[in-house]
Amino acid sequence: MSDFLSYVLNGLAVGCGFALLASGLVTIHRVTGVVNFAQAMFAVVAGLTAGSALGAGLPHGAAELAGVAIAVIAGLLTGLAAVGRRGTTPQSALIVTLGVGILAYAVEIAIWGDQPRSFAGLPGSLEVGGVAIQWQYLLVIGVAAAVFAALALFFARTDRGKALTACASDPYGARLVGIDVLRMSLIAFALGGGLGGIAGVLVTPLQPISFDSDVALIVNGFAAAIMGGLNRPGPALAGGLLLGVAEALVAGYGNAAHQTEIALVLMLAIMIWRAVRTPVVQEETV
Amino acid sequence: MSRVTRRIALGIGAAVTLALPLVLDSGQLSIYILLGLTAIVTVGLSMLMGYAGQVSLGQAAFYGIGAYTAGLLALHGWPPLIGLVAAPLAAALAALVLGVPLLRLRGHHLAFATLAMQLILLSIADNQAWMGGSIGLQGIPQLSLGSLEFDTDMSYAYVTWIALAGVVLTARNVIQSRPGRALRALATSEVAAESAGIPVGRYKLTVFALSAGFAGLAGGIYAFYLGYVSPGSFPILLSVGYVVMVVVGGLGTIWGALAGTAAVTLLVQLLNQLGTRDGVPGWLPSVLSYAVYAVLLIAVVLYLPRGIVPALVSLRRRADS
Amino acid sequence: MIQVRDLVVRYGSATALDHVSLTVETGELVALIGPNGAGKTTLVNTLSGILRPASGSIEVTGRLAHVPEGRHLFGDLTVEDNLRLGAWRSRDRDPSWLYGLQPQLAELRRRKARTLSGGQQQLVAVGRALMARPDVLMIDELSLGLAPLVVTQLAAELTALHRDQGMALLLIDQNARLAFDLCDRAYVLEAGRNVAEGPCAELARSPEVARAYLGGPVKEIS
Repeated sequence: MSDFLSYVLNGLAVGCGFALLASGLVTIHRVTGVVNFAQAMFAVVAGLTAGSALGAGLPHGAAELAGVAIAVIAGLLTGLAAVGRRGTTPQSALIVTLGVGILAYAVEIAIWGDQPRSFAGLPGSLEVGGVAIQWQYLLVIGVAAAVFAALALFFARTDRGKALTACASDPYGARLVGIDVLRMSLIAFALGGGLGGIAGVLVTPLQPISFDSDVALIVNGFAAAIMGGLNRPGPALAGGLLLGVAEALVAGYGNAAHQTEIALVLMLAIMIWRAVRTPVVQEETV
Repeated sequence: MSRVTRRIALGIGAAVTLALPLVLDSGQLSIYILLGLTAIVTVGLSMLMGYAGQVSLGQAAFYGIGAYTAGLLALHGWPPLIGLVAAPLAAALAALVLGVPLLRLRGHHLAFATLAMQLILLSIADNQAWMGGSIGLQGIPQLSLGSLEFDTDMSYAYVTWIALAGVVLTARNVIQSRPGRALRALATSEVAAESAGIPVGRYKLTVFALSAGFAGLAGGIYAFYLGYVSPGSFPILLSVGYVVMVVVGGLGTIWGALAGTAAVTLLVQLLNQLGTRDGVPGWLPSVLSYAVYAVLLIAVVLYLPRGIVPALVSLRRRADS
Repeated sequence: MIQVRDLVVRYGSATALDHVSLTVETGELVALIGPNGAGKTTLVNTLSGILRPASGSIEVTGRLAHVPEGRHLFGDLTVEDNLRLGAWRSRDRDPSWLYGLQPQLAELRRRKARTLSGGQQQLVAVGRALMARPDVLMIDELSLGLAPLVVTQLAAELTALHRDQGMALLLIDQNARLAFDLCDRAYVLEAGRNVAEGPCAELARSPEVARAYLGGPVKEIS
């Protein structure tokens, strides 16, 4: 039983990381219609930066903030490449973000090399009913909960958040009322970068990351985001947690080698199920 | 270009590439072979992306299926020729089966689905003892035809040349056929194509299987040439690289796929050679090749969205008129 | 308020507006009529800065707001959010004053825009534009697809705003009779060119205009 609980907690923590990544994908897609392939790169860059900052003597907190700040800048630059040029279709923008992801490989290897890196998170653990829960897990879960609450408030309660939604809902209408759609798109990319960065600095102490960790991360993030049709943060959170727990249980009771396949098969099943239900015509006009 | 000059250009191209292996040293020969094998894959991918309008980020999976099929059959004592024929068939069959559910998806959904497909296949290969696990298959015998052994790089260069020529001719015939012209409509709007009575689903599946078959053929040759395959030989980046080459050269044109493949491969090789000189840090070659892939991809998508070859052709047309 | 001179707008090689001129004075009610494809929407889109002119000059003094054809509300947002975003450029985004003017909007404020009827949506679209406190309101197709009663109500509201706040109006409408009734002056565009202009009463007496736009034998139906 205590094994089960610790697997679930482990899964929830990792799932929060997926959910944060997914929320970045959702934010960007909701505003710009672009699926950002470079989303997991933000997490990698933030994790590696935070590790270096700690190595250079920065205290915890400041180092993580530095990592997230770099991820925000990476998000902004990705946005400039993907949507900064007038007339780039979402399909082309997807390929551009793929290119940005590869470019990041070059930069990351030049700075950090190609070996996995990690850094220590919160030390110690909390004893609850005979189960030891690492503080880092609780930190990840707490931060993710706070970020999702803030995100929900931002979109539901602030005019700026609503203006971001308006850009996706009706870009022409948004321009008519004076919303600068390009600026909002860049804000969405910067926000997406920040969300990816938060995921990165939280998850790096749980599992070492290297430049090419982004493939597994993006697949899990996309699988979580697709649950809400890439537009709704709520289902993306649920999806991330579900994936995290399912993978932790498979790794705990079965074979760790199969854990990413869970996410992949689930993602394929959901996408195909959704595609079968949606007629082509509707998709093309959206 | 008129039909006659095009034929002449084609003849010269064929002659030069045929003569080239005779003058290349062994290092250059291996680049020649890998370039040819890559071109076999990208010609198919270019058709899939340009005509069926679909992005596949898992094309290296079919390359891998071909390589494993050829390798496994050869290791179990089947004649190499059987393996070489089975490689494209197995890949095409896999594409037919996987394509039925996958091709219900479009755009970024299909891109992620093909990526997922490759990751799943890699993970399976990694875990199956009969496929050699993460070590892979070793000691795959050389390609042979009766008593004729293909044991030199030169012989593989010609096998590759013949395979590529066959693939180019097949692709050309498909593109110029009536279904091929109908396919062109598919890339722009599936709905319009469907309402014009084109059996969209069947055509898409056919192109998917054809492109997979090409990739499988290249994979088969690769297995015999290297004598060794493992899951690590077919990373996601290989698939991404194919997409880069196709996009750079220009979607939906055979010449675009060939030119894009040659340009990207040679550029990366050139930078590799610069990067492996004495006194240069060890990480430089990989950094340079990633940078080349990325910069080419981004620049072409943003500034030459139709690719280099179509852009040059229209430039020439404008100059002629 | 608005002064357009010799405006040329092209889509690729096609010329949508060919040396068009138009003026709207402070507090003036101006109608813009013409068949489909005449360039009316292109003209207001250019005035809004959505399209770039190839040549000619545009001078605008004061604030412009634009009710587009098809409304283009933010369907995922509530009516109140739509209204607040209408005032995106200004600091005061509180729609209370508009609710006082148009109580029906207050009743609908919590509804998602996409769930409204066509008439309600048009009301919100006009309200969203009014939130910008415009000196000139441009409306592209006020009456399209709306019941006559709703149109009368909207027209009365616009007249009141003109009377009380001196707001000018540039109105495009398929229903030229409505446009002529509401406005003082009118421009007729055909195939991207000015073909007639003048006081509405005068234009209505012109046989060509009457035949083409006021219920003659070639009346346009859309």
